[in-house]
Amino acid sequence: MKKQLVVILCLVCLAYPQAIMAADNESGYPDLLAEEFIEYEDIDSSEVTIYDPFEPYNRVVFEFNDRLYFYVIKPVKSGYSYVVPVDFRECFGNFFDNIRAPVRIINNLLQGRFGDAGISFSRFLINSTAGVFGFADVAATEYNLQAREADFGQTLGYYGVGEGVYVLWPVFGPSHVRSSVGFVGNVLANPTTHLDMTNGERVLYYGARNINALSLQPAVYEDLKKFSLDPYVAVRQSFYDFRRNVVERAKKDGGE
Amino acid sequence: MIKRILMKIGLKHTGLLIVAAVTFIFLAVVPASSAFANQPSPTEQLRPTLEKLIAIVKDPELAGEAKKAERRELIMATVVTRFDFNEMSKRVLGPTWEEISDEQRNGFITQMTKLLENNYIGQLENYSGNSVEYVGERIRGDLAQVSTLIENNGSDYPVHYIMSNENGTWMVYDINIEGVSLIRNYRAEFTSILRQRNFEGLMNTLIAKNKSFSEKNN
Repeated sequence: MKKQLVVILCLVCLAYPQAIMAADNESGYPDLLAEEFIEYEDIDSSEVTIYDPFEPYNRVVFEFNDRLYFYVIKPVKSGYSYVVPVDFRECFGNFFDNIRAPVRIINNLLQGRFGDAGISFSRFLINSTAGVFGFADVAATEYNLQAREADFGQTLGYYGVGEGVYVLWPVFGPSHVRSSVGFVGNVLANPTTHLDMTNGERVLYYGARNINALSLQPAVYEDLKKFSLDPYVAVRQSFYDFRRNVVERAKKDGGE
Repeated sequence: MIKRILMKIGLKHTGLLIVAAVTFIFLAVVPASSAFANQPSPTEQLRPTLEKLIAIVKDPELAGEAKKAERRELIMATVVTRFDFNEMSKRVLGPTWEEISDEQRNGFITQMTKLLENNYIGQLENYSGNSVEYVGERIRGDLAQVSTLIENNGSDYPVHYIMSNENGTWMVYDINIEGVSLIRNYRAEFTSILRQRNFEGLMNTLIAKNKSFSEKNN
């Protein structure tokens, strides 16, 4: 255990100068024009394929999730937002985020983003102590150390693992095979998984975490549904675009 | 604290340096007589438009359900000066655009503009209170990307405007939020619909969708 700590500390020290440089890169925004040029000449060939052989089944799940959202999740979310002030919800969000730090640190390392791993580790230390168990994101507000997101699905993509077919999970929502495998990794690397909790407590914990997170996000699904001609396709396309962007970002930042 | 300020200045300077470098390259490569060199940058053109739109949405004199039509008219008059709905419609249809008649094209542009209008105004009304930060700009030939960050409940959401240069005026033809492109999303939907139904079928779905907005609005 002691040895592991020493190794981690050494890594952090090594990573620190890079961490500063990485923080300087924060303004680094993606180059979306590269794909525009391909598209401009030949829209057809640039369209990266999405494999959805289970579409008829997935559409049934989509209906189920849609009802779940409007009949259960949305009312619960609205009630929760009404009762709990936004400042508190942001604090809870920070707390849940901070606990997941190992997921980010491990995947920052796996992607060769040692600077980002150092930042993620520093953030965890600062926020767990000065931030009172992670309720305040002091690392961001006082030290300008912004979160360095990373997850297992992204790492798999970084190493060139294919996306696989589209899977729409009941309750959990859109995914593909790669992200689903990544999801299992994220769960295993999350310390709360290894706490001694009953199943009921687990459901309560993750339910609270996700409702809290949803209450802070813009109502993306509602907008998407309102303005699309085929919400099923819109959600699928958005999921692929979003995840591809996440992997692209890792490829850009990785191996620094 | 000092470190933070220094970092902030550093960041701003990096942005400035990039803009300066890009400007320098253009000034050096493009002869001074070229109209291009004297044009305001994409950000300089986009920013006043977005600020004007936010001002309209926030204007207390135009607030409320009763002023909705008037407000929307004002918004649209501003939006069309910066957003190219013809180009968007063309890109959304993809290869099908080449297969349809001029009359069908015009009909499609009318309906597509309505849909994009409702979509964009909806977003504008949702997020007009949030602060917008202009974080960067890229220019490649006739295309440009203006990157912004919109703050919402403590999180920053990256929103990128993709623009093309039309005789010196930079016009938006796509909006990209965290990798999700507005145009690509609609194109995927339309491709899926066109696979099952013909162009007329798509038009009917589009018209029905647009009707649903006016029903809800009145």
